Amino acid sequence: MSTVDAVQPETEADVLTTDDGVVIAKGVIIFRRFLRNKTAVAGLILFLALTVFSLVGQFLTPWTKNDIDPAFIGEGPSADHFFGTTQAGVDLYVLMVEGVRTSILIGLIVGVGSMLVAAVYGCVMAFYGGKVDKVMLFILEALIMMPSLLVVAVVTSGNGGDLKDALPSWFLLTVVLLVFGWMGAARLIRSISMSLIERDYVKAARYMGVSTWRIVWKHLIPNIGSLLVLEITRGVTLAILSEVAYSFIGIGIKPPDMSLGILIGQASQQVSSFPWMFWFPLLAMFALTGSMAMMNDGLRDAFDPSSSSVGKAKKSRKARKNTVEAAA
Amino acid sequence: MIKYLLKRMATYVVMIFLTTSAGYFLAVSTMKPALIEQERIPRPTPEQVAHSLALKGLDPAMSPWDRYVQWLTGIVTRWDWGMSPAGGSVNAAFGDRVWVSTRLFIAAIFLTLVIGVALGVFTAARQYKASDRVITSYSYLTYIVPAPIAYFLVQLAAIWINDATGQQIFFVTGISTPGVEPGWPAFVDLVAHYVVPTFAITLVGWGGYQIAQRQYLLDNVNADFVRTARAKGLTRNQAIRRHALRVSFIPVAQTIAFTVPAIFAGGFFAEAIFAWPGVGFWSIDAIGKQDVNAATATLAYGSVIFAVGAILADLATTLVDPRVRVS
Repeated sequence: MSTVDAVQPETEADVLTTDDGVVIAKGVIIFRRFLRNKTAVAGLILFLALTVFSLVGQFLTPWTKNDIDPAFIGEGPSADHFFGTTQAGVDLYVLMVEGVRTSILIGLIVGVGSMLVAAVYGCVMAFYGGKVDKVMLFILEALIMMPSLLVVAVVTSGNGGDLKDALPSWFLLTVVLLVFGWMGAARLIRSISMSLIERDYVKAARYMGVSTWRIVWKHLIPNIGSLLVLEITRGVTLAILSEVAYSFIGIGIKPPDMSLGILIGQASQQVSSFPWMFWFPLLAMFALTGSMAMMNDGLRDAFDPSSSSVGKAKKSRKARKNTVEAAA
Repeated sequence: MIKYLLKRMATYVVMIFLTTSAGYFLAVSTMKPALIEQERIPRPTPEQVAHSLALKGLDPAMSPWDRYVQWLTGIVTRWDWGMSPAGGSVNAAFGDRVWVSTRLFIAAIFLTLVIGVALGVFTAARQYKASDRVITSYSYLTYIVPAPIAYFLVQLAAIWINDATGQQIFFVTGISTPGVEPGWPAFVDLVAHYVVPTFAITLVGWGGYQIAQRQYLLDNVNADFVRTARAKGLTRNQAIRRHALRVSFIPVAQTIAFTVPAIFAGGFFAEAIFAWPGVGFWSIDAIGKQDVNAATATLAYGSVIFAVGAILADLATTLVDPRVRVS
């Protein structure tokens, strides 16, 4: 967690001027820094490749998840079935395309959604303080106390319930993960916003009669922006991990919905006789969560104003000479 | 300090009450044990099912509020957490299992904390050296592996070692072998069953503590008060040990509260995978059987575990942080 440096709130601060007088927008700088981090770029490419795989992978094979191939039952990878078949004769490749898609979808919805909730909740707590803060903190801690694992099990379990019949299990899981996924980030945002609100420029804006929402939008959000982006990638990873973990032990997503967790969980029963059924989905999951972790690292460096881990932009010899002469 | 802790405890009692009540309403409105009863052979009539459930205090015809009042009265007046749809009291079933879980958690939580903090200090003192890079990379790796999968892989490895040596060195399921003589053989048997799950939970658990402790210690190593201590003639290691260490442990202590529930959830997964008949294993099973009372009891247990973690964190903070003593 990098400490938040006070970014000047006015728009002039969003651009930097180089020695040659060329103006570079802040977004461009962050983007360039991100590109300079090889690991992060590799993570981004891997994540995009998995997304493309989950969207168009279906069209690269003649099989669908309802087809049963009697010639290949429980067979390993081959030219006909890229990742082999299940013991029922269903093509694993098709199942994985859908599984990766479900995992990415859950990850993105929960990651972005819970960050938004956390940002609003945390900022409101910090801004109003006092009683409002106390009550909201109480609610937040009470939610942390609820073992979300059990709530997931209750909500998605077994038969019966009008709600469960009407909604697909991946949607129910997404809702529960959203409800239980934002508290940690909200606490963090609260404490950082609190220290920001104490800063002089926020006090000045308050005395000048600037509206609450304008202060939040102009002063708080730009300062916690980097944190929010990191929380998204972290939230996506956590949601994917939770889905896999819950579905692995048989709660969470239920067939006919397909996810990486279900594939891994079902395959773990006979990992010695059908090893590909276990290892292919597991590798896909590692690729997915690993790509997020790789990006996370690069994003942190890109946003951290004092970062030196990725090398500073090299000045040309001429530019350096100019600086020395100007100083002299 | 005691007054402060008592105040915190009172807050947690209120919270446990609220979360448990919320959990009860959630369970009572989504679980339909009558449908499971219908699957029995010979198939009972709906009237028989309703009658048998009503006898156990699980009358599906009552409104959720009335059932809540009935359930709460049972707990407050008799400490009776109700009955399961299949018969049998939740109290008795819980009492059998809670010690199995506690045994598993206590060792794992202690080992996780000690190893994590020790390695955090070790790596902070050797920042960017090979040992630091290896250990810290490993800790980041544990962030992208779901706990049950890690446990399962440990289980596979244990089975592989058993197969390779041709001997039953590790037991990968269950808590004991039936029919072992009491005394020393029973103890060896217990340890043999204990090792794999505890090892698995600890292995994926300490990463978070290691990263946090390393980070906070590094933040403090160059602080003014450490430099002052060195200027007074202490060696770097002495200065870190006497001054930076204590300060850097304060934020780590505060994360205990949030790690204990995580280990608890990890314990659930471990129980499910290693087939330990603890609370976690039981609760997942009970939820599958649409058992409202058992599900709520485990929810309450989870909340209590969190509160214990939070109070431990408060206690640890008051012990190491001199600023808290006044309150």
